Amino acid sequence: MTRLRIPQEAEPDALAAQDGTAGSAGPEISVGSAGPESTAGPESADFADHDGTAGAPTSGSAVVGLGVAGWLRWGWRQLTSMRTALILLFLLAAGSIPGSLLPQVGTNPASVSQYYSSHPLMARIFGDLSLFNVFGAPWFAAVYILLFTSLVGCVLPRTLHLVGSARQPPPRAPRNLTRLPFAVSYATALKPEAALEAAQKALTAKRFRLRTGPDWVSAEKGYLREVGNLLFHIALLGLLVSIGLGGLFGYKADRLLVTGTSFSNTVTALDEFHPGRLVGPTDLQPFTVALDHFSASYVTSGPLTGQPSSFVASVRYSASPQDPMHKYTLSVNHPLVVDGVRVFLIGHGYAPTFRITDGTGHLVFEGAVPFIPVETAGLTSEGAIKVPDADPQGLGFAGVFLPSAIDVGGRLESWFPAPEDPMVSVVSYAGNLGMNSGPPQSVYSLDTSGLRRLPITPRPLAIGQSMKLPDHLGTLTYTGYQQWVSLAITYDPGQMPALISGVVVLAGLLLSFMVRRRRVFVRTSTDEAGRTIVDLGGLPRSDAAGGFEEEFAGLAAEMSGLHQGRLDDDHNPSDLGPSDGE
Amino acid sequence: MPVNTGLATVSNDLLLTAVVIYALAMLAYACDFAFGKKKAPAARAAVRVPVLVGAELAETGAGQAAPPAAEAAAVTSGGEAGPPTRLPIPLPGGRRRGLRAALGLDSVGRFVTIAVVLTSVGLAAHISGVVLRGLAVHRLPWGDMYEFVTALTCVAVTFFLGVMLRYRAYFLGLFVMAAVTLVLGLAETIIYTPAGPLVPALQSYWLAIHVTAMTLATGVFFVAAVIGVAYLFVDRHARRVAAGRPTGSDGILRRLPGPEVLDRLAYRTVVFGFPIWTFGVMAGAIWADKAWGSYWSWDPTEIWAFITWVVYACFLHARATAGWRGRRAAFIQLTGFGCLLFNVLVVSLVIPGLHSYAGLT
Repeated sequence: MTRLRIPQEAEPDALAAQDGTAGSAGPEISVGSAGPESTAGPESADFADHDGTAGAPTSGSAVVGLGVAGWLRWGWRQLTSMRTALILLFLLAAGSIPGSLLPQVGTNPASVSQYYSSHPLMARIFGDLSLFNVFGAPWFAAVYILLFTSLVGCVLPRTLHLVGSARQPPPRAPRNLTRLPFAVSYATALKPEAALEAAQKALTAKRFRLRTGPDWVSAEKGYLREVGNLLFHIALLGLLVSIGLGGLFGYKADRLLVTGTSFSNTVTALDEFHPGRLVGPTDLQPFTVALDHFSASYVTSGPLTGQPSSFVASVRYSASPQDPMHKYTLSVNHPLVVDGVRVFLIGHGYAPTFRITDGTGHLVFEGAVPFIPVETAGLTSEGAIKVPDADPQGLGFAGVFLPSAIDVGGRLESWFPAPEDPMVSVVSYAGNLGMNSGPPQSVYSLDTSGLRRLPITPRPLAIGQSMKLPDHLGTLTYTGYQQWVSLAITYDPGQMPALISGVVVLAGLLLSFMVRRRRVFVRTSTDEAGRTIVDLGGLPRSDAAGGFEEEFAGLAAEMSGLHQGRLDDDHNPSDLGPSDGE
Repeated sequence: MPVNTGLATVSNDLLLTAVVIYALAMLAYACDFAFGKKKAPAARAAVRVPVLVGAELAETGAGQAAPPAAEAAAVTSGGEAGPPTRLPIPLPGGRRRGLRAALGLDSVGRFVTIAVVLTSVGLAAHISGVVLRGLAVHRLPWGDMYEFVTALTCVAVTFFLGVMLRYRAYFLGLFVMAAVTLVLGLAETIIYTPAGPLVPALQSYWLAIHVTAMTLATGVFFVAAVIGVAYLFVDRHARRVAAGRPTGSDGILRRLPGPEVLDRLAYRTVVFGFPIWTFGVMAGAIWADKAWGSYWSWDPTEIWAFITWVVYACFLHARATAGWRGRRAAFIQLTGFGCLLFNVLVVSLVIPGLHSYAGLT
């Protein structure tokens, strides 16, 4: 496995410099580039060091001779190499794609089961590959765990490096500064020592770190770049840990709540409950929420008629059964926070109310039945009314609720989502509803397999209207409607750590992109005429932010002006070029 | 507050006007390629700028130690350095290998002048159209797909004008204007949505933060992608020339800067856009946390924003990895933009999810 690397940060500038000054630019170019004048520092810029494995085994036979430890070392080097990290990044991106194209168990379990029934074979294959749960799949976990291991393997040594390099002075100045990407020479009347001293002063004033020799100064600045880069990668790890915290100790739940009712935050009262791995039923915060009123408003004219414009739910809540109830106005984007748990308004719908008497004249059902919207333009909703204990036969109804009913060519439709003319139409069934046995049924749909459809033409009912069932099976009265809201209840202790990590990710990114790592070298010499010649060389070590050109020009102008000024007046340095001295 | 339909109509007219003017500007850029004076490859003479009386100057030939790509760049782009007055500070000698100098399009042709003026006028109409739409609906004008596209193209043109004037990158004009005309034209025709209020889920100040950042970043990545495509063509041409193979017509390519310059320009553009994208995704996560109860729920749009982020991160890393620089990195960058486009055009419109606000049914 031969891996000769060119300098990683190798920007064209740096490349040019490298071929001139024997490795002044390369962070860890160990391959025949370390001349006596080498200025190669151990540090590096950019993302370079991910691959900072200068001593990778160079041939297969060498590896064989290394034994288990050698293989492990080799494997570790492979894993932490930039190439592997790149491939893992690609896999992460590619692996996410099915998560967006196929329905996911976590977000849309109903579509997943629908997929299973419509494409049984494909669904089996996809299911075996965890493609319906990509972001919880073992192979996806393998990719990001490897990626983050690779990241740790890269970040740890680099942090140590940074600490080390922060203690070390900049490298020696190369002999021939004119070969650097930026170079200037000028003559000055000052003595070499004085010129060097002036250069030192100017560079110190700009907060460069200095190292001096008999006839040279080398200066370096921009260590924060690497700090930012490391912060970015460490904060990504922090983000992963935060997400993990949420997955272990947090929980999510849903609850559909009809106006005028309330619920307590217990496992049995929740419609859906997705606890974290370490969450038990007793860990739930014991709050209560009651829904007093819900109102939705819609655009009433123009091309966007029917688009919702606001949803507001008036609720009361208490943190525990002993506490008094407080009022809160719950709306989208304004969740209720109780005891660290947040309650969100995420949906709404209608629950028509019915009154059903059976064949014996007993009142067997009275109340609201939540119907589920099947379209958004008119909020046509469907639901099921189940009366298994009716006498002589159990009764079941599959119903459609139309908030603003209108007859379109013999078919009833809803033209507006608000209840302008709320009507209900039901199909009636009788028989054994099978609710005490067999697989669990959905509350919102009727399993008609064991039922007999009653010979009665469905007729749209207005509020207050009744429908007499044939065979003296009973009567159904549509008495009105309520509105319901669906609430999402979430508790995530990893939220704040995730936010902090995110802020650090961004700060690190900005630091590493905006700070330039650069070196400036000064050399003095005396020419044949006895004049002092000052050579100034500049080496940008990253090109992300650019602008070194201007900085170098400014520095050159300032220094040459400084030197020139010294001829006349020690305290009036620059008479040429703008001096952006601090 | 009701929608001001009068203002909305004016906004539509202004945006249509902008499309037409952009098309004309595109034509002018094309004319510059077709009929503009071709610059003779300038002699890359050493630059001598006297700094101090009696001072020696380092005499350094331009591109002395530059890699072959830079040589090709210098040859194809003509003049080596801009006029000294364009530099902020007179640079005392030394090599000028800065971006602007390397682009070296000093003398602006007639057609370019016309094109720049047209672009500016079109942008004025574009900005006015976006602003009026905002005034008409009493909110930030990027609440639906149509508004998002008009706003992001507005950002792209503004950013492009800035880059063009700062780096004298007039060669970008034809490509950026072609893409903008196409996208804005699509927005005005296929994805047009009448002005209206926002659905409740979007009624949050996070709309301003999240969508603004995403719009900005998309506009910037848009320009980066255009530069990336130009890079690929120029690079292929340069390699053919280097290999001595027939190159066919090179009218446009001769007038573009070298591959190295384009590569760096694309990189810097991505570096500018990437933190904005990162910020935008994070702002979106914070908003999602407030609106949906979970800061990340693997919604299809979120997934593709994540994929886009990862692919651009790949690009940034690839550019620092031996063997991945150049063409491969450019392809990664374009893949990233492809993911972004897929997200905007396909995911928002076709795949149902929490982000389905396109306003189309």
